[in-house]
Amino acid sequence: MNITKLILSLTLSMTLFVQVSWAQMASTEVIFKQSVTVSSKEKIVQFTAREDVVKILEQMDVDPKMIEKRIASMTDEEISKIAYQIETLPAGGSAIGSIVGAAVFIFIVLLITDILGFTKVFDFTRSVR
Amino acid sequence: MLSSCTSKEPLPSKQYNFSLHIKVPFVPARSDLCGSTSIEMVASYWQSRTSYVPHLSRDELDGRTLIPAKGGTLQVELVATARANGLLVYPLDPTFDALFSELAKQHPVIVLLNRGYSWYPLWHYAPVTGYDEENQSILMHFSDRPNETMPVATFMSLWERSAHWGVVLLPPGHLPVGTSLNMFLRAAYDLEKTGMINEAIVAYQSALLHWPEEIDVFFALANAYYHTHQLNDAEQIYRKLLSFDSEHSMALNNLANLLCRTNRSKEALRLLGKAVTDDKEMQSIIKATREEIRDGCTPLSKI
Repeated sequence: MNITKLILSLTLSMTLFVQVSWAQMASTEVIFKQSVTVSSKEKIVQFTAREDVVKILEQMDVDPKMIEKRIASMTDEEISKIAYQIETLPAGGSAIGSIVGAAVFIFIVLLITDILGFTKVFDFTRSVR
Repeated sequence: MLSSCTSKEPLPSKQYNFSLHIKVPFVPARSDLCGSTSIEMVASYWQSRTSYVPHLSRDELDGRTLIPAKGGTLQVELVATARANGLLVYPLDPTFDALFSELAKQHPVIVLLNRGYSWYPLWHYAPVTGYDEENQSILMHFSDRPNETMPVATFMSLWERSAHWGVVLLPPGHLPVGTSLNMFLRAAYDLEKTGMINEAIVAYQSALLHWPEEIDVFFALANAYYHTHQLNDAEQIYRKLLSFDSEHSMALNNLANLLCRTNRSKEALRLLGKAVTDDKEMQSIIKATREEIRDGCTPLSKI
């Protein structure tokens, strides 16, 4: 894991370094923002956001070998979105397979309502009422 | 509708009286991997129709999209992975009409649907492959059969729960139907920023055919040429831009920078003299360029 982080940090710092050597250039970025260049403060914020996303993906069981590549292919806006909104973002998964999940869910609802005495679906439940 | 900030009507504005079918190669569903398979299907469609070649294997697509703890793929990572696969990712206007016009142009669209409810979401990506007029149905590579049909009414209620989210994936030389210049440049520039600068250059070139007099396209293309050390092309495009707008201070600055680095300091200084701006940041860049020219620039070799 630490090696992944080291490689990532190196790659990220190289990106910063490469951008610095174009300091005398007005960037294409200006078409989308008011700012002509990316300030070093912004770069540092982005740098830490990228490190945060590494941690988030690690915690979410993402294949460690892929994390570096995944981070590298994301824009700053995409990184910020994951860093700050991961809990609420939807993740598209499957067209099938969730029926089991749904069945378990309905089972639990009915179990609870059975216990509370609003329903009587299962013969093994005894109402609290 | 809560999510709608615009006056655009998401529902079909009229009855569509013809059927459409896009021949998108089918990949059967794999658990939790609909993000990956959706990209793979659309990528192989473009591979079958154009000179586009996907950059990523199936394993790489899976490895880049799946978040095991989430049981699926984030929209952000679907977009980032499609781009890493060499495709331009263009956000669809959130309306049925926009969807239909892309389909009519034979552009498959990947949509995000919620098969459950807001309180019990079951998120799913699928490429839309057509429209069946007779049954008023949408065709999708939805699960384990190609071109499954879903009535438009059902489709619209599932799609509404993702705020009608959809993306058009295109090889860099192609333009989407609903093209706003700024959104197209944004999509192309995202390619450039994430290490696909050659693909971005192709996209800027195609934008130039569509908007032959837009300054921003010239500026983006010239900068991309410069960054890849294609100095002759960069110089030519900066000069073209300046023939439309001779006072474009950023282009003047960047061209001066290029000229200096190719041993033409005299002309560089002359051009820089024309660069006048009120923008403080731009003024300091111009000042830095002037100092660099005076001190002697690091030469750049041509490719």
